[in-house]
Parts: sequence; structure tokens; C-alpha cells
Amino acid sequence: MKSEILYPGAFPMVRVELAEGEHIKAESGAMVACSPTIDIESKMEGGFLGALSRKFLTGEKFFFQTLRASRGAGEVLLAPTVPGEVVVLDLDGVNEYMVQKDGFLAGAEGVVIDSQMQSMSRGLLGGEGFFILKMSGKGMLALNSFGAIHKIELKPGQEYIVDNSHLVAWSTTTTYNIEKATSGWVASFTSGEGFVCRFRGPGVVYIQSRNPGSFGAWVRQFIPVSE
Amino acid sequence: MPVQPNALCFGDEFPASGTPCLVHVEDHGLTITFPPDRDGVESRDESLKFSELTVSAGGLDHDQLVATWVGLKGQRTLYLKSPDVIRAFRQAAPDHLSQPLERAAEQVRQARQRHRMVWSIVGGALLVVVLGLWFGSDVLVERAVDRIPVEWERKLGESTYHDFLAHQDVMKEGPAVDAVNEMIHRLTGQISENPYTFEVTVVKSDVVNAFALPGGYIVVFTGLMKKAESGEEVAGVLAHELNHVLQRHGLERIIKQLGFVAVVSIVLGNPPGLGGMMKQLGVELMTLKFGRAQETEADLTGLELLYRAKIDPSGMITFFQRLAGKDEGRVEWLSTHPMSNARAERLKTQLAGMPKQNPEPFTFEWPKVRASQGAPPSILP
Repeated sequence: MKSEILYPGAFPMVRVELAEGEHIKAESGAMVACSPTIDIESKMEGGFLGALSRKFLTGEKFFFQTLRASRGAGEVLLAPTVPGEVVVLDLDGVNEYMVQKDGFLAGAEGVVIDSQMQSMSRGLLGGEGFFILKMSGKGMLALNSFGAIHKIELKPGQEYIVDNSHLVAWSTTTTYNIEKATSGWVASFTSGEGFVCRFRGPGVVYIQSRNPGSFGAWVRQFIPVSE
Repeated sequence: MPVQPNALCFGDEFPASGTPCLVHVEDHGLTITFPPDRDGVESRDESLKFSELTVSAGGLDHDQLVATWVGLKGQRTLYLKSPDVIRAFRQAAPDHLSQPLERAAEQVRQARQRHRMVWSIVGGALLVVVLGLWFGSDVLVERAVDRIPVEWERKLGESTYHDFLAHQDVMKEGPAVDAVNEMIHRLTGQISENPYTFEVTVVKSDVVNAFALPGGYIVVFTGLMKKAESGEEVAGVLAHELNHVLQRHGLERIIKQLGFVAVVSIVLGNPPGLGGMMKQLGVELMTLKFGRAQETEADLTGLELLYRAKIDPSGMITFFQRLAGKDEGRVEWLSTHPMSNARAERLKTQLAGMPKQNPEPFTFEWPKVRASQGAPPSILP
């Protein structure tokens, strides 16, 4: 399996080459085009209950689509829904990532997707909800963001502060605490930041350069109000 | 045989996401095997004595064993996740190392216990709120309704009433209007301490329906009158609707729904997925439960009102049953007043318990009223 990002930038597409018999799972609706040798199946990753919990708890799609090169080698073109960059990671069986609910685009067959419950404070204040996706296993993992993806590399003990709505994915060797953006409650919210996550290395944190929630609020003002 | 890594090693010469390695726990310490990398660097081993290590717990869930040491190339940090390796480490490591580890493990256990406790408390609180709303809301709603003046209720109903009538074919006079007015007059005459001035309008429509709005506004469709075999049957429906007003059911319903939506929104926010579905379901279930209780109350008090007004109450029961039995035309009244055997039986039992009396007939002749609507004098075969 080989993958390549086409048109890197705001409107990228991922080309994945599959050998005969190989398959990848992708977010439902992510497939743009594919070779005629590829079969598209919709699959409830992790069984019915797993799919159900993922759908209800994280708001992720109930079905993932599985693209299988069952009738010979072929290629698949995948694209996310929102404009923004795509990053391809290579999971090695030891590295694990937590991914916010809209961040998953596609993963190789060896990638295991779980929904995991967060602690009360992280769930309430982190802006990611109580359940997020945990990616483990081996193989290619494609993540997408809203805006550009920026990688923050943290050495052991190194800290970095991220606005919670800009998070895309972070390795499980990092830890983070939720805190107010400034020392006072009022200033925290009037500064426009509210809560932030203080990450502590070692590990990698992927952030997106745009905030989907703020963008939604900005767009809303231009939508005519229906009677 | 390729090396299957079980840990991540961090250090200055490694990438930020760490480099995978295989850790073996030996009697004297750890052996770390770095697999060959893509740059062609061969697999290599590194041995460490326990005495060189400092250990702690780390990672996102504090469930990883973190070992640090200073090597030739500076400080290195090892993240171990595999439970087997951690167990082996705890067994083999000398006391001064395993003690902080035990403490860390204890902290992890406590943190998990704390999480479980917080979740149980929150879950329990949610359950209490839901159960409280389910069982205790009636009292709260009643108290809230008691505080709302009748005048407000009138204004609330009035605007809806006029909006509705603006698009309807209203009957201003005629035998049907006179008949309905007589029924209302006889019924309202029996209501003691009535704060409402009832306003009844007959609307020309084949829809089989009648409804009451908060504040005493009642609408009867001629379709309903055409389906009735006698004036007493229509009076039964009117008695039921009057009692919706008297018991302030509309207001209760509004407050209950508003309050429930507010509470649910505060608790759940506006969540996607499960939360959103639960919210919808909860509000609908609540409305349904509430609706049934109100119908029963309006039935029973309606029956009593008919009795006091000396209108034959059996007309109410037979009419309800007949409407339910026939599924023809647009019997809308049934969609908001689902007829069940249990409901009819309850009314029959109630009626049987009342002392017998001689009903006083109405002054109008029902067949003439029906004929004025263009309906045959009787619908019975």
C-alpha cells in the first residue's frame, strides 16, 4: 500500500495504491474516485455495538467505508469534506494517537479505531466531547483538518499551550491539562480563548490553523433568516 | 525474524514521536533493542542497569511506565505500555525503583477510581434529575401554573384563537351555533367559581374535531356535529374540552415542555448523536405521558360536569366509542384523543358509580340541527 497527497494545501486529495487483496477503511463518503477493480463496502468497524457507540458517543459516522482491491490492484482517491490539509502518518504498532472526532479520513487495514471515554474535566472543558477516537495498530493513517495542519514536536517535559478547538490529534505519550486561558474567569472568555490545553511532551500534537466552531458562527451571520 | 517493538524511546537524536524499540526485562536491568531503521542503520542493543534508571508513570492516562536515564548521547526517556513488560519490570526491579512505581501505580488506581466515582455521581445525578422530572414534575408544573394569572392565559389563547379563525369559515348564526351555545350555557352554569368567560366558535369544516385553547377559547367543527347522533354526544365532547380549560391543561403542557426542554438543554447542551436523539425522545415521551394523564382527567371531570348539568353522560361514552370504531374521513379528534378500551371502561365505571338521575333534554331538535348542516337526519342505519 502506497499513499500520496495530491494538491497539498486547502483542497488536497489522497491517492492510495492498493495491491490485490489489500483494503483500507475510510470515512463514509470520503471516496472521490477509484479503479474499477476496487469494491466499496460499508462496514461497521468494531462490530455493531462498536459502530453504535462511535456514532452516538463521538458523533462520527456509523459506517466506515471499506475499499477493497478484490479484483486486482488499483488506486483510490479520497478527500475530506471540509477544506483543509491532510496528513498521512505511519503507525508502527507502538505509537498511538488520540484523534478528535472529525479528524479521521482513512486508515490501513491494520489500524485499530476505538472510541475512548475521556475524564470528566477533559470531556466537559476540552471541547472534544466525552468520547474521542483512539488510533492504534499498524499502517497508514490519514488525518484531515480544517485549515492547515501544524505539527508540534514536544521533547520530554516540554510544554505547549493549544486552544482546544484547534486540536486534531495527539500522541498518547503526551499528557494535557485543561486550564483557563488567563488567570481570571472573565478575562478567559473575553480574550476569546476560554479554555486551553497545556500539553506536556514527549510526543507530537497536530493542530489545525482554523477553528471550525468559530467559522460556523461567522458563516451563520450571513445566512438569511427564514420566516 | 523482525523485531516487534513494544516501547517508544525519546531522545535528542530521535524523532519527536519517539522511536519504536523492543524492551526486555532481565535480572540486572533492561535490554533495549532498536530495530534497523530506514536509513540503513542496523539493529542494535543497549543494556541498562536498574541503578541507572529513574522511573515514574506517564502518558495520557498515566498508565505508561516512564524510565529515564542519561546515556552517552544525553537524556533518554522510555515509554512502556505493554502490561506484561510493566509487570516483569515491577517483579525484577530493586525496591528503590519499584517503590516509586508502586506509588505511581497506586496514584493511577486512585485516579481511575476517582474517574469512576465522578462518572457514577454524574450518572446518578442525571438519573435523579430524569426520574425527578418524570415523577415530580407534576407538582412543580402545578405550582408554576398556579402563579400565572388567568388574564395572561387569556392573552395567550386569544392570539392563537384569532390567528386560527382568520383562515376558517366561521359560522356566525344558525341552528348549529344556537345548539352549541345552549350546551355551553348549560355546562358552564354548573361550574362554580369559574374565572373564565368561554368563547365558542363553530367552524364550517368536514374535519371531525373540536379543541380548547388556554383562556377559554373553544372551537367546534361542523364535521364533528355531523358525526353525532344526538346533542348529548356533542355536549360530551364539549364537557371534555371545557375541562381542559378549567384544569389549565394547555398552560401546564406549555410549561412542562418549556421546562423540560430547558432542563435537558442545560444538562445535555445541543449534542450530536446520542445526546440529540435522547433529547428528542425524552421531550416526546414526556409530552405523551403528560397528554394521557390530561385526557383521563378531562374525561372524568367532563363526565361529572355533564351529570351536574343533567345532560345524559352516556352520550359521551357512546360517541367516543363510535368515533374510534370508524376509521373514515378525517377524524382528527382521535389523533389527539386516542380512544382506548381502558378509557371507555374507566368512564363506564365512573358513570356506574353515580346515582341515577333523569336527564333534562335540550330545547333544540338534533335532527334539525344536523339537517341544517346538510347531513341526513340520522347516521345510524
